[in-house]
Amino acid sequence: MPRPERKTIQLTIDGREVQAIEGTMLVDAAKQADVEIPYFCYEPKLGNPVGACRMCLVEIEGIPKLQTSCSTPVKDGMVVHTRTERVRHAQNAVVEFLLVNHPLDCPVCDKGGECPLQDITFGWGLGHSRVIEPKRHFVKPLALSPLVAIDRERCILCYRCVRFSQEISEDYQLIFTERGSHAFVATHDGHPYVAPFSGNIVELCPVGALTAQPYRFRARPWDIEGGAGVCTLCPSQCNVTFTVRDEKVMRVLARDNEGVDDGWLCDKGRFAYQAIHVDERITRPLVRDAGVLRPTSWERALEAAAGLARHRGRVGTIVGGQASNEEGLLLARLSREALGSSDIDSRGMAGSGEAGAPIPADLARVLAAPALQASVPDIEFAHTVLLLGCDPRDDAPILDLRIRKGVRRHGVRLAIATARPTALEANAKLGVRCEPGGEGRLAAALAQAIDGTVDAGAPAEIAELAQLLRDGGEDVVILYGERIGAEGAAALVRIARALRLAERDGAGLICLPAGANGRGLREAGAVPDAGPGHGELDGPAGRGCAEIAEAAATGEITALHLFGTDPVRELPDRALWRRAMRSAALVVAHASVLTEGLAEHATVVFPAESHAEKDGTVVHPDGRLQRLRIAIAHPGEVRPGWAVLAELARRCGLETGVRHAVDAFEQLVAAVPVYEGLTLEEIGGGGVRWPERPQASALAPGEPTTTGGEAPSGDGRAPDAAAASNGALRLGTYRPLWAAPECEISPSLKFLVPRQRLELSPADARRLGIDDGAEVVVAQNGTRLNATAVVRTGVQEGSAFLAQGLAADSANELTEPTIEVSAR
Amino acid sequence: MSVGPTPPVRRFAHGSRVPGWDDAVDLTKDPAVVPDPATTPVPDELRAEIEALMERYPDRRSAAIPALHAAQRLHGWCSPLARTQVACVMRLTPAYLTSVASFYDMFELEPRPLHDDVYVCTNISCSLRGADEVLDALTAAAAGDETVHVRSFECLGACDIAPMASVNGEFVGPLEPSDAQRIVDDLRAGRSVLPEKQLRSRACVDPGAHPGGGAPHPDDPRAS
Amino acid sequence: MSRKILFEDIDEPGLNTLSVYERRGGYQSLRKALGMSRAEVLDQIKQSGIRGRGGAGFRMGLKVSFLPEGTMAKYLVCNADESEPGTFKDRELMQKSPHMLIEGIAISAYAGGIDRAFIFIRGEYQHQAEILDAAIAEARAAGYIGERILGSDFSFSLVLHRGAGAYICGEETGLLDALEGKRGNPRLKPPFPAIEGLYAGPTLINNVETLSTVPHIIRMGAAEYASIGTETSTGTKLISISGDVKRPGNYEIELGIPSREIIYGLAGGPPSGLPVKFWFPGGSSSPVLTGEDLDLAYDFDTLAKAGSMLGSGAIIVADESRRVLDTMLKLVKFYAHESCGKCVPCREGTNWTHKMVQRIFAGEATPMDLDIMGSVQEQIMGNCLCVLGDAMAMPVSSMIRKFRPELEADIEAARERAAARDLAAAAELRPLAETESLAVH
Ligand SMILES: Cc1cc2nc3c(=O)[nH]c(=O)nc-3n(C[C@H](O)[C@H](O)[C@H](O)COP(=O)(O)O)c2cc1C
Ligand code: SF4
Ligand code: FES
Repeated sequence: MPRPERKTIQLTIDGREVQAIEGTMLVDAAKQADVEIPYFCYEPKLGNPVGACRMCLVEIEGIPKLQTSCSTPVKDGMVVHTRTERVRHAQNAVVEFLLVNHPLDCPVCDKGGECPLQDITFGWGLGHSRVIEPKRHFVKPLALSPLVAIDRERCILCYRCVRFSQEISEDYQLIFTERGSHAFVATHDGHPYVAPFSGNIVELCPVGALTAQPYRFRARPWDIEGGAGVCTLCPSQCNVTFTVRDEKVMRVLARDNEGVDDGWLCDKGRFAYQAIHVDERITRPLVRDAGVLRPTSWERALEAAAGLARHRGRVGTIVGGQASNEEGLLLARLSREALGSSDIDSRGMAGSGEAGAPIPADLARVLAAPALQASVPDIEFAHTVLLLGCDPRDDAPILDLRIRKGVRRHGVRLAIATARPTALEANAKLGVRCEPGGEGRLAAALAQAIDGTVDAGAPAEIAELAQLLRDGGEDVVILYGERIGAEGAAALVRIARALRLAERDGAGLICLPAGANGRGLREAGAVPDAGPGHGELDGPAGRGCAEIAEAAATGEITALHLFGTDPVRELPDRALWRRAMRSAALVVAHASVLTEGLAEHATVVFPAESHAEKDGTVVHPDGRLQRLRIAIAHPGEVRPGWAVLAELARRCGLETGVRHAVDAFEQLVAAVPVYEGLTLEEIGGGGVRWPERPQASALAPGEPTTTGGEAPSGDGRAPDAAAASNGALRLGTYRPLWAAPECEISPSLKFLVPRQRLELSPADARRLGIDDGAEVVVAQNGTRLNATAVVRTGVQEGSAFLAQGLAADSANELTEPTIEVSAR
Repeated sequence: MSVGPTPPVRRFAHGSRVPGWDDAVDLTKDPAVVPDPATTPVPDELRAEIEALMERYPDRRSAAIPALHAAQRLHGWCSPLARTQVACVMRLTPAYLTSVASFYDMFELEPRPLHDDVYVCTNISCSLRGADEVLDALTAAAAGDETVHVRSFECLGACDIAPMASVNGEFVGPLEPSDAQRIVDDLRAGRSVLPEKQLRSRACVDPGAHPGGGAPHPDDPRAS
Repeated sequence: MSRKILFEDIDEPGLNTLSVYERRGGYQSLRKALGMSRAEVLDQIKQSGIRGRGGAGFRMGLKVSFLPEGTMAKYLVCNADESEPGTFKDRELMQKSPHMLIEGIAISAYAGGIDRAFIFIRGEYQHQAEILDAAIAEARAAGYIGERILGSDFSFSLVLHRGAGAYICGEETGLLDALEGKRGNPRLKPPFPAIEGLYAGPTLINNVETLSTVPHIIRMGAAEYASIGTETSTGTKLISISGDVKRPGNYEIELGIPSREIIYGLAGGPPSGLPVKFWFPGGSSSPVLTGEDLDLAYDFDTLAKAGSMLGSGAIIVADESRRVLDTMLKLVKFYAHESCGKCVPCREGTNWTHKMVQRIFAGEATPMDLDIMGSVQEQIMGNCLCVLGDAMAMPVSSMIRKFRPELEADIEAARERAAARDLAAAAELRPLAETESLAVH
């Protein structure tokens, strides 16, 4: 979709000639010209101005009444006065009115020192008040949710928080109720405001009315420093500022980057910093001694870990999604060059059961072609966005907001093709549901319908979807999850060709990987079937996660190197992984917390860095290289990941040449052709998208050899509806946003950590006699899980969904495509 | 200058003059999201009525106010349940409807049984003609009867019959305090309320509006 | 006696039914209009000079001509919220002659190239809503609403929408939000509704009386209509008069007649026989006038020049026995209650003013507080999102300006009463010994 054109015009503000882009709001144009106009309610990120606070009134020649500069677009030749007597009178008036009912409790207010109301009162108020009427006094603060406290005395009813809830996150839980001076911010009938993005309202509030429970009274603005960083808790990789006091992260704020996050954060990114400073965190090396993991010296731990060298050729390496590119590169070098093994994988697994054989290197390379890469802003301006086998809400939450923005503000048409209903269902123009595990087949059917290999016979909804993609405008952006597997990826290549996505700047693909830095780790070569930069391997391809588990369980692999991951916790088929870890003679792990698998089976555990302590780079799903910087000192005895890996490699006989963090970066740049010439300066604070660099042409996609299996039947449905007939349900899985160890140990997020829920369709619930909220047992091949039933419209009859990545009752325990459900 | 003690102000139980502000959320509740039709039973007639209402507008949300009227008629007030039912049919969050309902004077957000509404206008014109006394009399007449809800209201657009009241939407006036008991009695008996004072049967006062010499206003000089 | 246009047949029995309305010549204007081109109809409306009857007095013809041409969905919204205190003219029109309004809407929609119309009626007008609903059904069955009306290629739909009690929904953009199913908060202008209104489409908003006049303009011709009234205030106007008058009610007058003729001639003046002390010429939002202003001509410009306004044409009269302060309290309480709360000066200004007036009643104010009150009104005026704030500030300012000595006296009297009350209370509470010791001094 064409983006708005930018024309520069000229206007006069306070007697000065000022240039501005046409259509800019006056208040912003003034700011650019160093004229400060005070305001409260204006926040362009929240959509159209509301003009509620009246703080920004100015005089415009030719218009009799004062105008709100937040809602007046600049025009050529406009003459504006911001400091006349009339304007000053209006500003004094608004400040006085704002304080009529404000408690003036600044000394005990958490916002003190960083409060726009304080600043504006000082700068534009009269300095005295004529109000002697009694003010409203209320109990305060009150809980709005376990994360946010509300002080309604301080609220100036500026609409920012409710606009966020209603127009940005669209959860529409936070509202104004009552009218006039009785109006207040509330929720429905005392329900808490719990939604994935609720924390943003704290940052938006211009007074101390909304405060974050975890930050309240922890610091004053003069105690703190800000450290720029990147959140690596999910693939969204939002830009953040860590508020640091005494080498501790006290708070996380958004660091607005239009190309990444648009200035928003999810509550995981905002509050899981607490996991950095909890007792559960491992800050010293541990070694298993007589069956028990005990703290030990680095020397002893490194020596023990160097035992990996004795398992040459029989070491499997699993890389967690939060590893940096440099760590990925060092791990790959360690594995291949020192340990003689290509059995290294970072792809995690999106699905379980039948779904998602990992995308093989040839397809991955084709799908990574620079011309095919859509950027995050492209989502907002596309004609059509398709979600294929992913739900951004869980997989990369900030993109969920970006899609909503596109639909709401730019008329993007959203199509959804998934097994499980997504959080964006209500915004979609078209939805196609497939059976769990059927995403690949669905994609194949869609490819046929689009490229016309099969004209007739496609089911109506797939034909309709094909038509929307083909005829709804050229700029199509497809977001897909790794769970579409090899078959889906092959189909996607065909879809991209048929839609000519490579030929349009605003069109393309975005893969939402399972791991936060999934893309960077693949590009660094931490996959079994490709070297750095999607390069060919010298030798044969190694094993992926599933095969490593298999091989470890059967004794073909005898040592495991686990970097920032606990496969028992993270990967499908827990029973297999437990066996694998038990069988392995040596399990070396790098971790922050001892989750089940590590606690029971790790031989050596190195303390891992948090994202606030790391120095390195990561790659956003849209190809943007971003830099992690050290915001706080390493706690306890934690050492940088690159240093630990370099030392371990040395002890295993490989001199990596990495003596500083920057050495690792330089090796990465040298190893990945498309990064050629890149410097940390170029990456800077906002990152740089490699597909936009000229060096991107170094990646020649070539032709895929994988076809994705034989031609499918064409309807995207499972060939045998084994389900339903015998009462069994087809199982689909998903990874909830909150299913993460970081959330479990962050005190304020604990309440969000999910218990297992079985989502099933109303029809199946009726048939099985299961009520919404009932406790049920899910069984499969002798494995039993407990769950709470959630009857959900939109779930297809015959399908059911369970969450992965939970500590208990997790879907990772299950391996078969179908389940039996009974009431408990 | 001597300043006397602050006069008594009406306060709510929690000590403030504004309702609701002191309520914290209940952290044991789940967030109120758009209700799932599969788990939110809605009475059939209500569902049908709201669906028909939504049909009338280009944007279904326009039906919010009429839908709340319908739910209030059914439940006696816009209870959280009523709002949730409307939310379910309209595919909105209950909070949306709470926000809307609380803006308008005719929606009841305090628990009430099915009841008769008596709105007494106490705005300028009616109060010049004794509305405050009428309100007191009506409040007294309905005291203790939960099914007759007397409240003061802003100008109802019938200052020609000041002081007046709207009884379940039927405008009656000019009222005397002595009419209060009859209004309540009529309501209890299920009768038409003060038929002789109903606005609906009143002629226009403009003498020119009666070229054929229709019935002029009783105060018109031509009446005698 | 003023010429009757809207009220000519108003008490004709059964006028609310289609058959009687048609018998009295109803829908002939629609027929006539459809025989004309859109531009001709619009021209008639323009030439008639009719100004909006809802409060602002904006020329209807001009407003229609602001609507952009094009194929986008356009809307007409009839403002039947009628919540301005003292106003009840639309009620009588809708109740007795609903088809006149429907016909007016149809003609105006035709003139504006509009095919979807809504009537937003205040929720309290239940009886009138029922009558309108029945009339709409009849008109639809008879083909006056719907597809290809009277064989022309003009089609339009009409839906009645009931509000639920909020004065601010009379403000045109608050009304639009309410009609869209939201809280009735006014919107920022620009964009004006004619460009971006209901569902973001171009929207024509007019008052019931304005629209009901349109069939008559078409019937009698713009020139004849414009010959009634004054040059800038053409036509007749319905006046709702209430308060201290013998015959309160709605009267149709020719614009420009002396106000005295309405208050005394038509409504009979105060029943007490006392002189008029103050009166609102155009609803409670209009600055008050006094007994000295009774000879002002009742038209838009004269009243504006006198520092007030014609507003909705609702006259509220108070005689010499009334205290200004009592009316001020009712007035201020009303606006504080009806402020939507969206913008700061109105929300806090109305609420603060209300508290100040209450303080006067409590005997805790001094005459100096009138200065603060006056200055607060100035701080409200012109600074709000819509004019509800001004609607309180203007009359309150006028009361302070015109009745300051009386208000000061009332403030002092209230203080004395409060002091006496405190003294009595104190005497009752004070222990005996202390009373004695006081006596010694
Ligand atoms: C606070 C406020 C209340 C209003 N109330 C009404 C009303 O009840 N009825 C009405 O017709 N116009 C009302 N208006 C005027 C409308 O905004 C608008 O000007 C009018 O409906 C336009 O129609 P007209 O040009 O035919 O008068 C009100 C304006 C304001 C600012
Ligand atoms: S709570 Fe804060 S953000 Fe929300 S309306 Fe009040 S002042 Fe604005
Ligand atoms: S910032 Fe312009 S009105 Fe609030």
